[in-house]
Amino acid sequence: MSFLRLDGLECRYGEFTAVRHLDLEAHEGEFVSLLGPSGCGKTTTLQMIAGFVTPTTGRVEMDGRDLANVPPNRRDIGIVFQSYALFPHMTVAGNVAFGLEMRRVAKAERRDRVQRALEQVHLDHLWARYPRQLSGGQQQRVALARALVVEPRLLLLDEPMSNLDAKLREDMQLELRRLQRSLRITTIMVTHDQNEAMALSDRIAVMRSGRIVQVDTPQRAYERPADEFASTFLGKSNTLRGRGVPGGVALAGDTVLPAETGGRVGDVLCTLRPEKIRLSAAGGRLAGTVVSRLFLGNHWLFQVASAVGELLVYCQNAGAAMPEEGDRVGLDWDDASLLVLAAEAG
Amino acid sequence: MKKTSPFLLCGPVLAMYALLLAAPLAMTVLLSFNSYSRSLGIVLTWDLRNYAEVISDSYFLRIFGRTLQLAVAVTLISAAIGAPEAWIISRLSPRWRTFSLLVVLGPLLVSVVVRTLGWTILMGGSGLLNQAFAALGLPRAEMLFSLPGVVIALTHVLVPFMVLAVWTALQQVDPATENAAASLGASPAQVFLRVVLPQAMPGVLSGSIIVFSLAASAFATPALIGGRRLKVAATAIYDEFLASLNWPLGAAIAVLLVVSVVAIVLLWNRLVERRFAAMAP
Repeated sequence: MSFLRLDGLECRYGEFTAVRHLDLEAHEGEFVSLLGPSGCGKTTTLQMIAGFVTPTTGRVEMDGRDLANVPPNRRDIGIVFQSYALFPHMTVAGNVAFGLEMRRVAKAERRDRVQRALEQVHLDHLWARYPRQLSGGQQQRVALARALVVEPRLLLLDEPMSNLDAKLREDMQLELRRLQRSLRITTIMVTHDQNEAMALSDRIAVMRSGRIVQVDTPQRAYERPADEFASTFLGKSNTLRGRGVPGGVALAGDTVLPAETGGRVGDVLCTLRPEKIRLSAAGGRLAGTVVSRLFLGNHWLFQVASAVGELLVYCQNAGAAMPEEGDRVGLDWDDASLLVLAAEAG
Repeated sequence: MKKTSPFLLCGPVLAMYALLLAAPLAMTVLLSFNSYSRSLGIVLTWDLRNYAEVISDSYFLRIFGRTLQLAVAVTLISAAIGAPEAWIISRLSPRWRTFSLLVVLGPLLVSVVVRTLGWTILMGGSGLLNQAFAALGLPRAEMLFSLPGVVIALTHVLVPFMVLAVWTALQQVDPATENAAASLGASPAQVFLRVVLPQAMPGVLSGSIIVFSLAASAFATPALIGGRRLKVAATAIYDEFLASLNWPLGAAIAVLLVVSVVAIVLLWNRLVERRFAAMAP
């Protein structure tokens, strides 16, 4: 029995369809991300769950109850907004206490719970500050404490990290994951950041043009992308066009490479992750020439020209000497790494 | 830019203010120290007898009290109507928003005299309002020449200034804070009172300053609806100048009016700044 169920959810604004027939389920305590580029309908979906946008058709069910006639203030959903949306005229403690006041929690208990919520996000020493006196990361944690202090049944996160710098984002991801797991609160996060989605989620729903393309665990979504869009949006990928032939695919330059085609013949799309390719001095499945290379600290990124086209290759920086630009190299990988996707639509 | 450039750039405006505002004001102040005699007209004395007369005469004190009452009532009612109105307008779809703003501001394009005469037609002894009251079996209301009548008409004239001021303040408010409050369990009324209104308060307070000073010095509406029977400071000044021809006394009332309005506004401003210094972005 799933805790949150979106059933045929659709949202149209006149001619424009923001979300089309979206089905999604989340179990109690699960962390599900809606991942997609801007304009894919992920935020509209979140707003329909929160009750700020009324679906054109379809239902939102929480714990078996249809939320259609439940206004936002009765849904018992905590939300962290992209802008944090802290109340600028209230102190940190006032912001966190607001939801408890609305629930008529007694003053003494309110103070204790605000204190505990602020401790959870390590901000108890800043309770008397106003939001504008806080850094972005601190504001974000106040927003999280404010959403969690009322012990909502569902937590919605709308691009919660997009206004933080890279270092802070990583810290916040770890903290958010720890909090979410310890509270076991069902969470839906909207993001366009694939790393964030993979790091935090139990499952990822990849969205494009108002539709869900694929729902899977981060590993499966990464290793077995449903289509070209999912493969390129989740991580980097080499996309190759070819034809299915018995035992493999025929790519550009009439190179036939072994792959699991699932019996597909005719035009197919293949995808090959850059980190699955091994570079060697010579030999392997394909020969190529290094066009350019970038040093990225813990790994190298190579652009290699080959018979099937240009390929991106990641190599761990293990301290060994790396091929130079212009060097001839051999490219190799396991058969299973070359994925054959369904033929490209259109 | 040279150091003198700002002064040169402000020069024309400053000159205009000096000529059209400061000079007449200074002359009014000077005039208020003169005295008046029926036979000689204005006598060039230099004393405070006009001020003493105004302050010691319960007739003038009543007029000032009434003016203050009127300005405070109009300001409070304008805030009570204007703030929710501005919020509702800011939440409309763009097309309706433009239309509604036009409806709110449209009356400003019509002369105050015309609008006030409209009210006299509505409020008259057998005017539309009394006909409606009669039809509903309610007693007749004497609104013309009464303070409530002046308050109603003046509020109608001045409410757009409040809407504009609050509207401007609401532009700075993150609409997500309203959704955040709703998600935390606040009803629409609570959202307005606890989240929108406090953030719009700087606008309400600056709107109050505009409405208060305009109401305290309003002439046309009190003159047409209040008439001679219900004088306020502005109409009293007019009568001293043009009916009694006692210019020095009229000037003294005018100076007192300006000074008290400026004092109240400055005090108010001080309170506002102290209260909102912490939350200002």
